[in-house]
Amino acid sequence: MTELIERDDAATEPPTVELSMQQAINRALRVLLAEDPATLVFGEDVGALGGVFRVTDGLQKEFGDQRVFDTPLAESAIMGMAVGLAMNGWRPVPELQFDGFAYPAVDQIVNQVARMNYRTRGAAPMPITLRLPSFGGIQAPEHHGESLEALFAHTPGLKVAAPSDAAEAYSLLLQSVRSDDPVVYMEPKARYWDRGPVELREPTDPIGTSRIVRHGRHATLIAWGAMVHRCLKVAELAAEDGVDLEVLDLRWLKPIDAAGLAASVSRTRRAVVVHEAPLTAGLGAEVAALVTENCFRDLAAPVQRVTGFDVPYPAGPLEPQYLPTIDRVLFAVQRTLEY
Amino acid sequence: MTANLAGDVTMRYVDLRPEEPGEAVPVLLLHGFGTTFDMNWRATGWTQALADAGRRVLGPDLRGHGATDKPTDSGSYLPERFVADLVSMLDELGADRVDAVGYSMGARLAWELALRHPARVRSLVLGGFGPRDAFAGTDLSDPGSGDTPFDHVFRTVAALPGNDPAALAACARGQAARPFSADPPPVGAPVLLAAGARDTLAAGAEDLASHCGGTYVEIPGRDHANAVSSRAFKRSVVEFLGERAPARGPGTAPPVG
Amino acid sequence: MAEENVTFTLPDLGEGLVEATVLEWQVAVGDRVERNAPLVEVETTKSAVVIPSPKEGRIVELHAAEDEVVAVGAPLVTFAVAADAPQAGIVGRVPTEEARPARRVRLRPPAD
Repeated sequence: MTELIERDDAATEPPTVELSMQQAINRALRVLLAEDPATLVFGEDVGALGGVFRVTDGLQKEFGDQRVFDTPLAESAIMGMAVGLAMNGWRPVPELQFDGFAYPAVDQIVNQVARMNYRTRGAAPMPITLRLPSFGGIQAPEHHGESLEALFAHTPGLKVAAPSDAAEAYSLLLQSVRSDDPVVYMEPKARYWDRGPVELREPTDPIGTSRIVRHGRHATLIAWGAMVHRCLKVAELAAEDGVDLEVLDLRWLKPIDAAGLAASVSRTRRAVVVHEAPLTAGLGAEVAALVTENCFRDLAAPVQRVTGFDVPYPAGPLEPQYLPTIDRVLFAVQRTLEY
Repeated sequence: MTANLAGDVTMRYVDLRPEEPGEAVPVLLLHGFGTTFDMNWRATGWTQALADAGRRVLGPDLRGHGATDKPTDSGSYLPERFVADLVSMLDELGADRVDAVGYSMGARLAWELALRHPARVRSLVLGGFGPRDAFAGTDLSDPGSGDTPFDHVFRTVAALPGNDPAALAACARGQAARPFSADPPPVGAPVLLAAGARDTLAAGAEDLASHCGGTYVEIPGRDHANAVSSRAFKRSVVEFLGERAPARGPGTAPPVG
Repeated sequence: MAEENVTFTLPDLGEGLVEATVLEWQVAVGDRVERNAPLVEVETTKSAVVIPSPKEGRIVELHAAEDEVVAVGAPLVTFAVAADAPQAGIVGRVPTEEARPARRVRLRPPAD
């Protein structure tokens, strides 16, 4: 028997819309809240106000104040509450308003969130996604521009994601929240307002994979979050000089895509890792070590790191000097080319 | 900025430079009793209005107020002590002359500055200020305990975060120890007086204006507390200062009035 | 350009104050205001303040008349803002980017 089904291909294609990163994250949260009644969104000012960056705008109105709600200004309590909710079958998506204020919650994150699954031999998984507006670039006051990825990547039991544009923010958040493991999802504040096409489709790349955002043959620039955009700018300028740079968006900082890094650097033979966090014991060191372990014989030059400086995150007006500048990245590229 | 200018008291002050500087002579803003530079001038939109007019703005937290030291002996609050602070501040900043704008107690101090250092004050604006004794009927051994207009002011400001009631009481006594006199008036600086129509503490402002050959502007509907933020007040002052600003070079004595 | 309406509520003015009286509007319905331009003058029991505009946009509605008391959190003004204009968060500013970034370092392609 033949079933006649009228297919409208245009309707089944996932729509592509142009969104800012704020709106893309908002859209993903809508999908997540709609698909799973156990999903809860909470944090300081995420409800009535809609978030200090408007990321949760309208969610409380749409899903009610039982599922999208404001918390006291107490980061440790926010994460402690997430632990208790997760143990009771909920899927919490807490927000800590700014990276620097994650420190008061580190005890809960490191000692409870990251370990609970291990401690209970799998009886109490922690399907928590901590949304953490992260990194610098918006000239905010102290404690509002930190880069905590090394701390969380170093904590066994956590996954760490850092999207670089609106489309990535959408799909990485879907994956993070649907994962039964705790994920620290680091939103690059400097890219919140950046608009780009977002395909409203299911993510296809597995968790823990990187992506090549620009193909090149002379060296690989490795970055995540807002630095991906900067590396793309560097690659454009390098192209004017006849230098062809590959840009790799690491995007998952734990687990790290060692194979993806090796594949790219084996081809280009040179690597420059760029991050906002200070140099010493930053994630760039881990990337350099992985590249060296896996591509030692292919490397034409030592891996270069271009990072923030080993100083406390500076006041807003000094940010442009602190964050890796285009010239600092270009200079590191030149060092690898001349080696 | 802070500076230890007068020796015993460390004073916090601001020096705000406009993005598009117009006039070389800065405006000195002197806040009222129990408030601060920020509360009196920034929150009320004055710094913005003056910046928009291209004016550089200087102003302290007066001794006993805000982030400036708060001694608790009344001798520290004699008007001449405040004036010494102001002169030190202006010297430090290299400001030879200013347009002095004061509100309430700040107006009294602007008057004193103009009187004692006429060369330093190009024009004078007295807001919310009149010639009557502001402390009349107040028991200055325990200000805030009675029902005079000043008692009311004292109770309100003593409760503001950051204020030290003991320092404010000493300040009131120091000010009262030198009763205001309209004679002699300062010479050389044109004077503008402005006060809310319902400002009882500024009673007689109009008379004082005519006494010293100045201009009086009434701010309709406002009282002592809420006249400060009035747009009409700001506009009058910016215009008054602007009229004096461009034509004269430094060193030429402006006509009285 | 597409516009959307954004309502701004009376912010917490500090010191435990729960309401304020509108003294004078410095904008009228239909006016275009810049961010940080004077918006409204309000008075609390402690002081009078001028609230600067949190948005750049066109004034659509003033929710309180002069002399009216407004509770903290109650609607104060509604703006029509450009729907796709980046609005800064409560902290920090929207980063700007040069179309063509300045550079000093020049590269030479590798020999290999």
